[in-house]
Amino acid sequence: MLLPVLFIAPALAVLLSLSIYPLIYSVTISLQQETSAGVTWSFENFARLASDNFFLTAMAHTFVYTIAALTCEFLLGLGLALLLNKQIRGRGLFRASLLVPMMLPTVVVGVVWRLMLNPNFGAINGTLKQLGINTESLTWTASPRLAMLSVIAVDVWQWTPFVFLVLLAGLQAIPQGPYEAALIDGSSRWQTFRHVTLPLLKPAILIVLLLRTMDLLRVFDQIFILTEGGPGFATETISLYIYRTAFRFFDFGYAAAMSFVLLALTSVISAIYIRFLQAKEAV
Amino acid sequence: MRLTIYLTLLLVCITTSACSNASKPGSKRLTLAVVSGVEGDALKQAALDYESQTGTRIEIAEFPYINLFEKEMIDLKARTGAYDLIMLDDPWFPRFASEQFLTDLTPLLQRRGQSGPDSDFVETSVALCRHPYQTGPLYALPYVGNSQLFFYRKDLFEKYSLKEPSTWLDVGVAVNTIHLNETAGANGGQIYGYVMRAAQGNAAVADFMPIFWAFGGEMFDTSGKPTVNSRAGIEALQFMRELGKYSPPGYASFNADEVGAHLLQGTAAMSINWPAWISSFNDASKSKVIGKMEFTTLPGQVKPGQAEIGNWLIAIPRDSHNAEAAMDFLLWATSAEQMKRSAQRGNPPTRRSLFQDAELVAKNPAYPAQLRSLETSRPRPRTPHWNEIENAFGIFLSKANSGSLSPAEAMNQANAEIEKILQRAR
Repeated sequence: MLLPVLFIAPALAVLLSLSIYPLIYSVTISLQQETSAGVTWSFENFARLASDNFFLTAMAHTFVYTIAALTCEFLLGLGLALLLNKQIRGRGLFRASLLVPMMLPTVVVGVVWRLMLNPNFGAINGTLKQLGINTESLTWTASPRLAMLSVIAVDVWQWTPFVFLVLLAGLQAIPQGPYEAALIDGSSRWQTFRHVTLPLLKPAILIVLLLRTMDLLRVFDQIFILTEGGPGFATETISLYIYRTAFRFFDFGYAAAMSFVLLALTSVISAIYIRFLQAKEAV
Repeated sequence: MRLTIYLTLLLVCITTSACSNASKPGSKRLTLAVVSGVEGDALKQAALDYESQTGTRIEIAEFPYINLFEKEMIDLKARTGAYDLIMLDDPWFPRFASEQFLTDLTPLLQRRGQSGPDSDFVETSVALCRHPYQTGPLYALPYVGNSQLFFYRKDLFEKYSLKEPSTWLDVGVAVNTIHLNETAGANGGQIYGYVMRAAQGNAAVADFMPIFWAFGGEMFDTSGKPTVNSRAGIEALQFMRELGKYSPPGYASFNADEVGAHLLQGTAAMSINWPAWISSFNDASKSKVIGKMEFTTLPGQVKPGQAEIGNWLIAIPRDSHNAEAAMDFLLWATSAEQMKRSAQRGNPPTRRSLFQDAELVAKNPAYPAQLRSLETSRPRPRTPHWNEIENAFGIFLSKANSGSLSPAEAMNQANAEIEKILQRAR
């Protein structure tokens, strides 16, 4: 009777100490206010969210960043997976080289792209100048119009290979039978893709979208290195704002309240994906 | 089974002792939190010398600038007593001191027969170590005496017969002349008239404050209300944007590295910068402007020019278990003899005698200008909420410099945001 409890005890202890306790602690501090009279309990931190323009703007940036990067990564990853699922020359080399960006640490990617995007000494403007293009207005991470585009492009460059890899694995797991049946029925390439490939690839698609959405919603290191949220808050995402609030302003209560909003949103979006996934499995 | 239990206990003991780096009360061991880089390196070296001279063991906990504040703050709030001495950037001091995290040094000095800090320390540096500013008890001693300087290319100033700028108007004239002749003119060069840091946050604020003060701007009125959107403040930001037109493209995202790179590559003629860069200009492996740079105090406008002071201080946390031993080390490390060694390792001193030391001046020709700058410098507003205020102010300065907002809009919104921060703090 005692033995099973002993077996699960280490896992339970890890779960309690690393997940449950920090969660309860963060709930506690999100409901606390430090005042000159001492610590008071209230929903003040949550109420403040609605009137904090920085928080609302950072949330909007996070959604723009997530939707744009996810769309590009998915379309490019799917296209590459379909292309490299065929027998073409140099397929192995293409596949291997495509995976390189994903293997690099995000901080390294941030530093390298920061140098490449430098408007004066960077490789990108240098190349464009060689091609005779006027780069005077292409200030990339310094431009309020181009900064968000630049950080999205870097994410797409680094993480499309991951989408490609998962979708390629999904494609290779599809049996040949349905394709042969579609061929015998005389379906076109588009019809085969629409009615055979896509439905059978749906679990892989949902999993990769789920993982990438969660990663994109909490993006931090890449933007921190590339722009630090600037210029003028143009690329500040919610994780950066939470970090600043917690570790620069030392307002842990408010940072915890913002983290809960992010957690709730991530959970809702994940639940939707999982529901789709389970609906597919039930068919 | 028994072996597993013993091994587990052993592991717990090792982990516990490794995590607990707090010095034992009365032990001949001190733990020192330092910043990575030249400022911290000098103190680390001094700690090694002290260890070999006195036998006091000194453990160094070194952190990059960006992490040092949070590490120290976590320790001070949790009252672990992990550090006996901490290096801190002066804008952090009001927060640490107002939350009573630091040891009052006066009783420790009195026990050593001193009534206060050595009069050789520059007054503006010592003033930073008192809370309230300038008048309150002493909670730290100044170790690295940084204050901003105005950097300019003397070869270009001589070439176009320009005088050393004493006002921002002079800077405007010089910038325009260099732009016409070197950036856009017949010489077809790529030397920009000016380069500045305008990345959001600390960078934009640090480069703006000397202009803001010179134009007569003040962040707060006498009752503590924010006044950044005064007419002087808006004019100062308009002037900053004008300078931006003569800066390299993308200056709105520039931090110290980009500004340094432009100056070292000889592609910018003027800048506000910190003394730490001076030695690189004569390093042939980095610089294309050897012997061409000159350094002076900040220009004025309606008010005399004032640099922003940025000293590194050393303090003893309230919960240090070895305050007496820590004080001995602090006095030793900030003595004239040891600070001279620190200066030889590249740190500007905080003692007047060292700025006038013939040997040091021969090696650092900018010392007379540095001393003048330090003596007339101003601190960032001494509020415990400076990190948050600087962040908000820096965002709106960056918005104005990147063209998202007009100077008036930026200053009005910054003022409203600072007001909100102060209201929350009340």
